[in-house]
Amino acid sequence: MTALRQWLQDPSPASRRQARLGQMWLAWLRIRRNRLAMAGLVIVGTLLVVAALAPWIAPHDPLAQDLTRRLLPPLTPGNLLGTDDFGRDILSRIIYGARITLYIIGLVAVTAPVLGLLIGTVAGYFGGWVDATLMRLTDIFLAFPRLILALALVAVLGPGIGNAILAIALTAWPPYARVARAETLTVRNSDYIAAIRLQGASPARIIAGHVVPMCLPSVIIRVTLDMAGVILIAAGLGFLGLGVQPPLPEWGLMISSGRKYLFEQWWVATMPGLAIFVVSLGFNLLGDGLRDVLDPRSAAR
Amino acid sequence: MSLIEVENLSVTFRAKGREVRAVEGVSLTVAARESYGLVGESGSGKSTILRAICGMAPVTGGRIRIGGQVLPTPRGRAFSAQVQMVFQDPYASLHPRHTIDRTLSEPLAIHGVAGSDARVVQALTDVGLPPSFRFRYPHQLSGGQRQRVAIARALMLQPAILLLDEPTSALDASVQAEVLNLLDGLRRDRGLTFLMVSHDLAVIDHMCDRLLVMQHGRAVEELARDDLAAARMATPYARSLFAASADRMLEPAGGATE
Repeated sequence: MTALRQWLQDPSPASRRQARLGQMWLAWLRIRRNRLAMAGLVIVGTLLVVAALAPWIAPHDPLAQDLTRRLLPPLTPGNLLGTDDFGRDILSRIIYGARITLYIIGLVAVTAPVLGLLIGTVAGYFGGWVDATLMRLTDIFLAFPRLILALALVAVLGPGIGNAILAIALTAWPPYARVARAETLTVRNSDYIAAIRLQGASPARIIAGHVVPMCLPSVIIRVTLDMAGVILIAAGLGFLGLGVQPPLPEWGLMISSGRKYLFEQWWVATMPGLAIFVVSLGFNLLGDGLRDVLDPRSAAR
Repeated sequence: MSLIEVENLSVTFRAKGREVRAVEGVSLTVAARESYGLVGESGSGKSTILRAICGMAPVTGGRIRIGGQVLPTPRGRAFSAQVQMVFQDPYASLHPRHTIDRTLSEPLAIHGVAGSDARVVQALTDVGLPPSFRFRYPHQLSGGQRQRVAIARALMLQPAILLLDEPTSALDASVQAEVLNLLDGLRRDRGLTFLMVSHDLAVIDHMCDRLLVMQHGRAVEELARDDLAAARMATPYARSLFAASADRMLEPAGGATE
């Protein structure tokens, strides 16, 4: 173990692989020193574990209805967080809902920022009519209210969780494109880009290898800040009958179905709301820490 | 035959209806293995000539030939293997998120050269850096060390011509001398051709065989090193430029920057 640590911390690594692993080790040390980032990592890690082990840790079937036990308050024996209007256990539904939430977040976080980065960096790097065309396209997407545009897309594609994710991703990319373009403009005329261009690099290599790493930190921050919004838009689509379909235990859907009882049976909407809150907070904290880790200049020596 | 021929070159920048004529009708020739200096105050268009050769400035007139060939636009890979540039500010010319290893091996990857491991280590040794610096980031290096890395990067593709854009003006005096001596040694060992820009006549005197004095985008006077040492200038501008840096230049014959 100590030999491994020494190998990782070697100030003059012998090979590229050792250098890369050493960098990752340093990044891990940096994120571990950051308490808030660790808190975020613990929350996101818990979400992953809960989603993976849902069938084993959930006390009830999330779909099993029991109308004799409907709208029970929290801390009722057998139903820790109470039951909803069909007598389904809210805790079990939240645990199973973690899977759906993770699925939506994961797919949106992979597709929208990648699309935004691509469009933003290409527009910023080439400038001229490429920039004008891509940015006007971005403006058109930005001009629509997000939920309405997602609604229109789902209406065309047909309801369902897959199409909902696609619609969210297609409406979420414009801010990333904006951020990436702004960063690209500050980087584009720097000497190190001129130097690599002079080495004969193709635009694709320059954008992917030299421009994107400079845009990543700000995009990652935006992604983590947007995660709460993504969950809520998915919920909104579900509420309108165009996203996740009942009786699937999606957190946003649970909130909208608890809306009717908000004043008398507050827990029906509050518990999944708390779950969204905690997960969003976790992503935000983690994103903040990741930004520090991604910047090697912030390494304390 | 001259390796670099610049003939009647003009560069005009246009922005929002305004025109700036950065270079007007400048001609110069540099022989193979020669070191040629461009001197002038800031804004005299000397760096723009280097950028024009690299295809990074809007050429509006004249011709640039390397080895007798007119350069294609865009410059292309053959040009990269023939001409490289060292930039003025070593804090801005290295990618802050790339290790030295990546910076040095990328040109090899672009041109499909094999054996990058050994070549990177060799390149570091050639510019006087220990191989243990290989996996560091630029922010972990001093200004002089960064400029050495930039020189190593420019030499990765083994070009015949090195364009030097004030390579030492961002460094302090003692480091400046080290880097100039390094460049001088590399030129001797590899038979490189230098086209060097500086506002400092003392640096040019130390490095260059011939030089061109520039003012407001025009060539003022071309001088050989002997003319400079004997203070044989024909134009008043070259004379005043000489007077400004003469005290640092004339003490021992051959340059005071050593």
